[in-house]
Amino acid sequence: MSLQQIFVLYKREFKKIYRSKYTIFMLLIQPLMWLVFFGSSLGRLPTALTQELFKTSNYLSFILPGVLSLVMLFVGMFASMSLIQDKRYGYLRRIMVAPVNGEVPLFSKLLGGLTRGLIEVPIVLIIGIAMGASIDFSLSSVLIMIASVVLLGITFSSVFLLLTLKTSDLQAPGVISSLILFPLMFSSTAIFPSNLFPSWLELLSKFNPLTYSVDLIRNAFLGYSFNLNYLIFLLVYAIIFLFLDFILGRKYLSSE
Amino acid sequence: MILSVKNLTKKFGDFTAVNNISFSIKKGEIFGLLGPNGAGKTTTIKMICGLIKPTSGEITIDGINALENPLEAKKLIGWMSAESILDEDLTVWENMEVQAKLHNFNKFEEKAEELLKYFDIYNFAKNKVSNLSTGMRKKLEIAMALINDPSILVLDEPTIALDPNTRAALWEVIERANKERKVTVLLTTHYMDEADRLCDRIAIIDHGKIIANDSPSNLKKKYGNTTLEIKTKKEVELKGYEYQKEGNNYIISVKDLSNDISKIIKLVGENNIISINVNNPSLDNVFLRLTGRKISEEKTESTKIYRILKSSR
Repeated sequence: MSLQQIFVLYKREFKKIYRSKYTIFMLLIQPLMWLVFFGSSLGRLPTALTQELFKTSNYLSFILPGVLSLVMLFVGMFASMSLIQDKRYGYLRRIMVAPVNGEVPLFSKLLGGLTRGLIEVPIVLIIGIAMGASIDFSLSSVLIMIASVVLLGITFSSVFLLLTLKTSDLQAPGVISSLILFPLMFSSTAIFPSNLFPSWLELLSKFNPLTYSVDLIRNAFLGYSFNLNYLIFLLVYAIIFLFLDFILGRKYLSSE
Repeated sequence: MILSVKNLTKKFGDFTAVNNISFSIKKGEIFGLLGPNGAGKTTTIKMICGLIKPTSGEITIDGINALENPLEAKKLIGWMSAESILDEDLTVWENMEVQAKLHNFNKFEEKAEELLKYFDIYNFAKNKVSNLSTGMRKKLEIAMALINDPSILVLDEPTIALDPNTRAALWEVIERANKERKVTVLLTTHYMDEADRLCDRIAIIDHGKIIANDSPSNLKKKYGNTTLEIKTKKEVELKGYEYQKEGNNYIISVKDLSNDISKIIKLVGENNIISINVNNPSLDNVFLRLTGRKISEEKTESTKIYRILKSSR
């Protein structure tokens, strides 16, 4: 594995992001949609009830960490779409004819996906604040947020890349995302707090990395205490999947 | 030997795409794998370049066992595929950069500039690839294939689907690279004229097997007899000659044209001849002689390709 190879392929991904008008447009418009529609859906709930349910009087403040995390859920789909395009157009062949191990293109796609997500993060924040979310800004809360979304992005990009490692079907990422996005989204605390969940869903949410990312960011932004275990949990997830990318990518990634 | 292939076989399910082939390529030569579509050319190339694993056999590139040491072997290969594979969103220069850095060349600028100038596309370095003509793309792909100073340049159907002018220009590019830069070349083609014009040696491959391997002139000497094509009014018997007959159309192999032509005219009878035609030795004749078919007469081609595609999924 050579970092130079990963880096030059990542540079390629990055250039493809900012050279595509549609990608830029989507990166800007998607967070806006999330916040406008999700954030407004419970906007007229009585304040006392909002306070009781969401531990904050402002539902937008509650959902903002959720949206920040959901953004990273989507990047996996882009990472794996980009990989499949390279298979389709033969570009992966060009890569694999060079002295390159299979994990190299995989890691570059992962970083490309992660970058897409990280571009959206400040946009979501700015729109959220502009719409009236109140955030407890500090160096530590920002660092916690960054660590959470990065680890979550690594995890979900890896999951998608691994699931589409052997396929060159362009439909696959879409199908996978519609299969796993909703279960992941609603079994996490991104949109509703887990104290509203039935017990089975609450159990499920404990295994969902999205929950930990959302709770870490939410606690930081709403001024609650930091839970190191949550961060460790996210880190373990990311490391396991990076490791799987490395092993399975080297073994199974093929341009044919 | 720059490349040596021994008993190479590739099976896709129960279909044998490449059947126990062996050949070797000397330093500095242009070697052609000539055969119809679906003969196993691209499969062979993919095995040599490490894109697919052979079912059995050995590949040695410049002394390195390519199957045991694929990464080391790949360092020695420059490759261009039949279809153009470039990143359209990137510029010419950026495509070069990716290629160089995949080969772990950090200081690629000088070499890239030299190659782009050599192939006369340096002026387009800052252009997006999507704006290039087909000919320029091919040149760029060859320049990219040479960035790592490969021991062998592998060109899979380099001129497929090109217009005649671009084809001729590309032939010149390949010849120049071979002569001036001393690059050994392995190319595949199903164009007889291309193989004849470019290659020092040719292996003819058909149904996954190599059926002849020699220089074009030797192949023509051995298998590509001059033929006389005669159309007659009445049927004739041509004793002592090897010929094919279709109605009153005769294709006769002759060894010594000046001597045989008068004999044949006598045999047929001067008044009996409608037309007479001399076909000089060509690789077309060689292929016809070896396989009993013309290279372009592959009726089962599409079904065969479909089978290969299906089983390789």
